[in-house]
Amino acid sequence: MATLLQQLISGLVLGGQIALIALGYTMVYGIIQLINFAHGEVFMVSVFGALATYNWFIPESWQQTWPLALLAMLVGAVVVAVVLAVLMERFAYRPLRNAPRLAPLITALGVSVMLKEIVRLSFPGATAAVHVPRAFWDEPITFKVPGGTVVIGSTGLLVIVVAIVGAVLLQVYISRSRMGRAMRATAQDPDTARLMGVDPNRTIVLTFVIGGALAGVAGVLYGVHLNNVDTDAGFLTGIFAFTAAVLGGVGSIKGAVIGGFIIGVIKTVGGQYLPGGTAYDLVWIFVLLILVLVFRPQGLFGEPERVRA
Amino acid sequence: MTGTPVLAARDVSMVFGGLTALSEVNLTLDEGQILGLIGPNGAGKTTFFNCLTGLYTPTRGTVTLRGTRLPSDPAAVTVAGVARTFQNIRLFPSMTALENVVVGRHSRMKQGPLASLFHGPAYRRGEQAARDRSLELLEFVGLGRVHDELSRNLPYGDQRRLEIARALATDPSVLLLDEPTAGMNPQETEATRQLIFAIRETGVAVVVIEHDTKFIFSLCDHVSVLVQGKLLVEGTPDVVRGDPRVIEAYLGKPPDEVEAEVRHYADETADHTQVIELDGGSEGDKR
Amino acid sequence: MNIPPGWAWLGQALLIIAGIILVIWLCRLGERRGTAYLADRPAYLRPLALLGGVLALLSALLPWVTFELNDGVYPELSTLQFFDEPWGVTGFRGFILLLGLASIVLAFVPIPAKRRVYRAIGLALFGITLFNTGFIIYYGGGIGAATAADGVVAFGGLVGLVAAAVVWFAHRSGPLEQVPLWNSKVSRAVAYPVLLLAFIALLLVVAMLLRAGTTADGDSRAYAGPIFLSLLFFISGVILALNGLGFTKWLTDVSDKHRLWSVVVLLGCSIALPFTEAGTDYWMTIAVNIGVYAATAIGLNIVVGLAGLLDLGYIAFLGIGAYVAANFSEASAAAFGIKLPFLAAAIVAAVVAGVFGAIVGSPTLRVRGDYLAIVTLAFGEIFRKAAQNDIGGLTGGANAIPDIPPISAFGQSFSAPLEIGGVKLPSGVLYYILVVVLVAVVMLVFANLKDSRIGRAWIAIREDEDAARAMGIKTGQAKILAFLIGATLAGLAGAVFAHKTSTVAYDSFQFIESVTLLAAVILGGMASIPGAVLGSALLIVLPEKLRDFQDLRLFLFGLALVLIMRFRPQGLIPDRHRRAELADEGVVEAPSQEHNVADSTPGGGAAVTR
Repeated sequence: MATLLQQLISGLVLGGQIALIALGYTMVYGIIQLINFAHGEVFMVSVFGALATYNWFIPESWQQTWPLALLAMLVGAVVVAVVLAVLMERFAYRPLRNAPRLAPLITALGVSVMLKEIVRLSFPGATAAVHVPRAFWDEPITFKVPGGTVVIGSTGLLVIVVAIVGAVLLQVYISRSRMGRAMRATAQDPDTARLMGVDPNRTIVLTFVIGGALAGVAGVLYGVHLNNVDTDAGFLTGIFAFTAAVLGGVGSIKGAVIGGFIIGVIKTVGGQYLPGGTAYDLVWIFVLLILVLVFRPQGLFGEPERVRA
Repeated sequence: MTGTPVLAARDVSMVFGGLTALSEVNLTLDEGQILGLIGPNGAGKTTFFNCLTGLYTPTRGTVTLRGTRLPSDPAAVTVAGVARTFQNIRLFPSMTALENVVVGRHSRMKQGPLASLFHGPAYRRGEQAARDRSLELLEFVGLGRVHDELSRNLPYGDQRRLEIARALATDPSVLLLDEPTAGMNPQETEATRQLIFAIRETGVAVVVIEHDTKFIFSLCDHVSVLVQGKLLVEGTPDVVRGDPRVIEAYLGKPPDEVEAEVRHYADETADHTQVIELDGGSEGDKR
Repeated sequence: MNIPPGWAWLGQALLIIAGIILVIWLCRLGERRGTAYLADRPAYLRPLALLGGVLALLSALLPWVTFELNDGVYPELSTLQFFDEPWGVTGFRGFILLLGLASIVLAFVPIPAKRRVYRAIGLALFGITLFNTGFIIYYGGGIGAATAADGVVAFGGLVGLVAAAVVWFAHRSGPLEQVPLWNSKVSRAVAYPVLLLAFIALLLVVAMLLRAGTTADGDSRAYAGPIFLSLLFFISGVILALNGLGFTKWLTDVSDKHRLWSVVVLLGCSIALPFTEAGTDYWMTIAVNIGVYAATAIGLNIVVGLAGLLDLGYIAFLGIGAYVAANFSEASAAAFGIKLPFLAAAIVAAVVAGVFGAIVGSPTLRVRGDYLAIVTLAFGEIFRKAAQNDIGGLTGGANAIPDIPPISAFGQSFSAPLEIGGVKLPSGVLYYILVVVLVAVVMLVFANLKDSRIGRAWIAIREDEDAARAMGIKTGQAKILAFLIGATLAGLAGAVFAHKTSTVAYDSFQFIESVTLLAAVILGGMASIPGAVLGSALLIVLPEKLRDFQDLRLFLFGLALVLIMRFRPQGLIPDRHRRAELADEGVVEAPSQEHNVADSTPGGGAAVTR
């Protein structure tokens, strides 16, 4: 019982990170139907951005006080991620917007490889895992349950809370604000949206900005929670996040978050209880992805697509 | 002109989500008949075509070809003998005109994977036959001279004709044409009318969707009017033309304004035709 | 309070980036202005060509480096040599000399499509000079290495760059000519020898390229990268010029008309490679790798190029084939004690891979487009994980399956050196011949299928799936067949791979390998057979030659993917169909403004009328 609960909590923490990244995937796919493979790498770069901020951009006195350090890291990570996302959109994807669909997808692959290599080559020590400072208050919370105790780290709790709050805020923004409306309009029909005075380019850039910012937040949380990072972090997390987005239904914010939590829980609980153990946890997630795509391609909260003729 | 029915739709209904696009539409197409399907925008004409050709599975109702129920699989429907064209031309843009038509022969060729792999004498005979038949069809629609052009570089009117040739290549007993004259000038429209008559002569029954009522009335033996997913009136062109409900529902205006409306519509199409021809022309020059 | 060090670094970085952007911007501006000025001044062609040619000669004879670089003297005596040996220049300076001479001579010779030829010369000059100058500056640690330092001057590089720009502008004087079309209906008496010569030339060029930058023993020497790339730029320039003259088009037309002869000659030339200067153990191994890759890439080309289905886990099929062959090879770690003859093992490997291909392809019945890419990626990762965990004891897990014996036939081991009639051939030559046969078989399968009922169905599906179904094509079956056949070919290649490398380990089959295969297909040109071979060759030979830049390998690889998609989505040797499809649509600038004004495709125009 205690083990199950413990794994469940670890799963939710992992799921929170995945959810934050999945939001970026789901929004970009919702608006320009591009699987932005490089989004996972944006997340990875932002962890290094946060680390660089901590190491080289803030005075020592800040490093000692965690709220200041965390804030600075957050700013650093978000700035890096947003700048990267915008550059990517402008120089890699926008020129290909009317190209055959393979082209942007392959470009996304290329960008993803490039980003990973840039970090590996330019960040000191990034050829192996790099330590990230904790920068958060340090009290794990312990529960007593029948059969043992369950621990949830303070940073873990932070991840879950931020993921949920972030998704709620995003949902409110998209459904209430003017730009949110423009985004929904562009996602449904860019041509009509343009006729209605919506600038699709601005809207698309905004989508990348929001996705990037969320990836940046996820990056900081990842760093302070796990206390280390390597350049491979982006690929797998990115695939998990994409799976979450698909599971929840691409374009659905609620879906991305719930999908994220489901994936996180499957990885930890499944790694514990399913045949093969942790060695095959990844396999179960991919099996789930394939099953969802085959049997419910619109995901849990998406709308079915209609054939056009 | 009456005969045995080839294609029959019985009480076909189609519901998307909560929206009823078609409700209990009946249609009977006799051997050697040209049937026109008209109706205002959004009346469900193309949806109905999609139900006939298996692209959509009707929510209720059945479609039968010579008494056999058609499956809801476009490929199987084509094999059974119902071919179609598309409202917005859907050729294979980077194939030549001839290759497009040869693809239409797909279901009538007996070449299996092994023959495809080894290119034996049977393969060569089959390919040659498919090629000959396709060239014949291209001649038939008047495109023999451009069989080697990439389809995307053909002028607009030729693309529409090529789509018809490609559909005919499947040896259909019923041909469904979705707005075959959209965007054509009067000469091209007339040529298309003659082409459809010629197709009928070869023993293929034809269903045509069209906006251009004048075109339909001068072409068809039988006209069905679809309004808001329901079959409003059907009968010979004369019957339909004179029916006040058609004029009312189709154009939403009293009869005396109809003529003006029709003329205006014709002008509008003519204008677009020019624009498109220019496009088509420049496309051809670019190469 | 001390300012943390990062800020100064950030400032520097931003300055450098700004500088680079400025330079690029200035170049683009200059190019645009120059082009606009020259557009209606065709008479400037000759003077510019002459000036460029003379500058190029000058550049070839000037010294290029002011001091000896770390790895020794820069190739072709480019240090401190000022008109010392005007007729003794070799290597990249020799190429510049030749290009300069060509530029001068052609200014007076009447040839068709002159501007196309000058464009090729300009590009080749630009590539050679820019790369060598850049390398000298980067390696020498500053601009001084290529200009003036310690009282020594060396302006060869800069003069060369100017020469390249001048020749480039020569081609901007007036519009580009049409590529001349030559009559390709020639008799056998002409066609056969011409094709023979062309393929022999190709063979020699390939051998030369492989040997570029190596010592007599075949080891990589210092500055192998610049030496190789200079030659590559030069050859590319020559080919581009021949292309502009319509010669390559004529040659491909002729070889299309005499297909059997072309195939025979090509096969003969391929088998002759071990007898050229590239016939060393080392290059035989590289050539075998290229062959295995190319065979797999052609298999992938069926899925991606013909049927238009993106597969991001394709390396798994090579892996499956390799594991199957390894398990039937009587290696000590093999799961089965039986040793099948290689041919039988290869067939089993192909069949097993094909079955898995059909399984992986089966979601295509329900999953479309991008989602399919993700499904295939997921399958690829599942395979890798399963292999890593030694699933069913078949893969050896982290220990891999080592010590797979080499193939042997008629008592001759394929990895041992071979002697025929006193001529000693490098070891691995039998593997090389096996791979040539493999690639030939795979090519034949691809070409025959493409030109058949099923191939047309694939292309139709790629272009418009709904329309394909309306033509009576059972799209589900066709797509699964594409996966099945593609995987079968990869499995066949995998069997060769297992024996040749003698170890099959799960980490040979990572995601990046699938991307590399895809890149080979795209770089060469989708649905194009020579393209897949060229793409594979480049992706394997370049890293071998560019060891100086080994760290940058993956970065450059990613960059190349982005740039190809942006500027040449149809690839280096485009397929006829694909060329038509991608050439126009692939590079539409700022589509958002044009979109609702006039859609240039006739089909799109229909939407406007409604």
